[in-house]
Amino acid sequence: MSGSGWQDWSAADVEVLAEDQEWRRLDPRMLLVHPVNEVVRFLPALVAIFFVGHSSSGDIWWHIGPVAIPIAIGVMRYFATRFRITGERLELHRGLVSRNVLSTQLDKVRTVELTSSPIHRALGLAKVQIGTGSAVKDGDEKFVLDSLGSGEARALRHALLHRRTAATDEISPASDQPDDEILLTFDPAWIRFAPLTTGGLLIALGALAAGNQLVGPLVHRISDRVDLHKPQHLGLTIAAAVVVFLVVISVLSVIGYVLTNWGFTLSRDRGGRSLHIRKGMLTTRETSVELARVRGAEVHEPLGLRLAHGARAVAIVTGLTKREAGNTALVPSAPRGVVEQTASTALGESEPLTMDLTRHGARATRRRYTRSLTVAGLLDLAWAITVATQHWRPGWYVVLVFPPVVALALAHDRAARLGHGLTDRYLVSRAHSFRGRRSILEREGIIGWNIDQTWFQRRVGLVTLTATTAAGKQGYTVHDIPEADAVRLAATAVPGLLDDFLA
Amino acid sequence: MELRDPRNRVSPRARFLWAAEAVVQLVVVIAVLIVVTGPWDWFPMPWWAWLAVIVVGLGYAITMPTVRYVVHRWETTPTAVYTQSGWLRRERRIAPLSRVQTIDFEQGVLSRALRLANVRVTTASAAGPVKIKCVERYVADEIVADLTERTAATTGDAT
Repeated sequence: MSGSGWQDWSAADVEVLAEDQEWRRLDPRMLLVHPVNEVVRFLPALVAIFFVGHSSSGDIWWHIGPVAIPIAIGVMRYFATRFRITGERLELHRGLVSRNVLSTQLDKVRTVELTSSPIHRALGLAKVQIGTGSAVKDGDEKFVLDSLGSGEARALRHALLHRRTAATDEISPASDQPDDEILLTFDPAWIRFAPLTTGGLLIALGALAAGNQLVGPLVHRISDRVDLHKPQHLGLTIAAAVVVFLVVISVLSVIGYVLTNWGFTLSRDRGGRSLHIRKGMLTTRETSVELARVRGAEVHEPLGLRLAHGARAVAIVTGLTKREAGNTALVPSAPRGVVEQTASTALGESEPLTMDLTRHGARATRRRYTRSLTVAGLLDLAWAITVATQHWRPGWYVVLVFPPVVALALAHDRAARLGHGLTDRYLVSRAHSFRGRRSILEREGIIGWNIDQTWFQRRVGLVTLTATTAAGKQGYTVHDIPEADAVRLAATAVPGLLDDFLA
Repeated sequence: MELRDPRNRVSPRARFLWAAEAVVQLVVVIAVLIVVTGPWDWFPMPWWAWLAVIVVGLGYAITMPTVRYVVHRWETTPTAVYTQSGWLRRERRIAPLSRVQTIDFEQGVLSRALRLANVRVTTASAAGPVKIKCVERYVADEIVADLTERTAATTGDAT
């Protein structure tokens, strides 16, 4: 049973713990970083006090005190934090006034992440975040060491992830300098894929919302000169808005892509025990995942990327929190060939990425068309009613052409992408047009099946088959698969489980 | 290749429970409508709209439990739990006992009055709790005891 990895210790327990292995401290260079951070955090209060002090009295303590207190807190923070690794436990000791001891079993450690902000990098430091997959949401309960020297941080990571083979490591002389096998290094040419992802769209919308006050007056000034009732003005305005929007999205996507993925390196340690993902332009982030926890990979081929023969891939890892799971990218947006090759190396098999998938047949195809054409029909109906009741010009009826055309194209693509497959180790499922997913889940990692059927699906004998797992999204779905195929697939993928329930 | 239905039906009294829940929902909807159309006066509510709400609500309370009773089924074997639930949508869930993490016994106010209970079996996946709903209380007790004993024998962290 895996519950929360952390335990709270009573005062008596702490006494017992005190006599074991040596306690270690954070890097002394943090004496520079913590006080600065505290001053920044107290800045609003400091500004207020500065002005109050100025007007009321000339006492010098009004100026020194407020700055000294945050600095003192920062210094004490350094002295209040200690950690150590005993035989099989990792302990973190925190707090000056209130004592706080976190403790976890070493074999609960699932990921180790090193993050360095520009300040950290200038001083050669790295923040160590240790993920145990515990369900605790409180930020204070996370095991974070802010910060160690980068060398020490790497050594700690190595010790945490590979303690099971520590004995053999001591025999091999090179174990201190893990000689990692590089699986992938970043190529600046991949930046061309950045504008094709939806990430840029989200950033752009966010920026638009935030920058509304800047853009607002500009829009007003333009709209004063443009008469939207003249058709040629309206057309020009719409065209200009679309162009501006596209340019903004592209620029922001490229910036976002470069900031996150610059220097992306995927490597595997020599013993094949863990994957290291290193990325980031200003703030670098190094995530390490034990390979024993990797249950597969998900290839993302959103429509835009797919048209440009690109893709990206994410590892499916057990026991991560949502935030941790977001950092398990195996390959950023890159050419499809690169993604396939890297993912095959990481998974140990290339078949799941390249195999021909079993199609879901005519009824599934028809269902794709019915669904998208129904939506298009409803949109058209709403539009027609609007045009008629608002007495718009009949020319607006031309718009009615677009929904069915888009729906047909979408349905065609969605139907063509439906598919599933099975290899010796993996269950493969592919679906979705816009989002474009191909999920590759280790059969060993499947811990149950959900077989859903809506009323419409039952009439045409299709089901939605979901393999549940403790990794990644917790469930990976095969959409609209014929019922008999679904049962056969589930029974083959996990032998024995369904035998008692077959008709 | 096809899956058969799970062997056991739920308690016949489950129909009363579901009907009672549907009636409670209808009462809540009517209460909300009275408030928003009366004191708050958001929109007018003609007499036929009231009639429609009541007819649909009562229709649901009468038909849903019957259909649901036909669909809902459960079964345990020495190695797995298998349930079928739903009304318009049919959901089948299968979990191997070797991957089970917790077995919960659940009883609400209404189900306690009717001496019914749910058994909720969770695995390490957030997508996979298997629920045996609305069985007789003593049956639920037996299932819990039975599953607890069988899963205790398995080892590993079930992920």
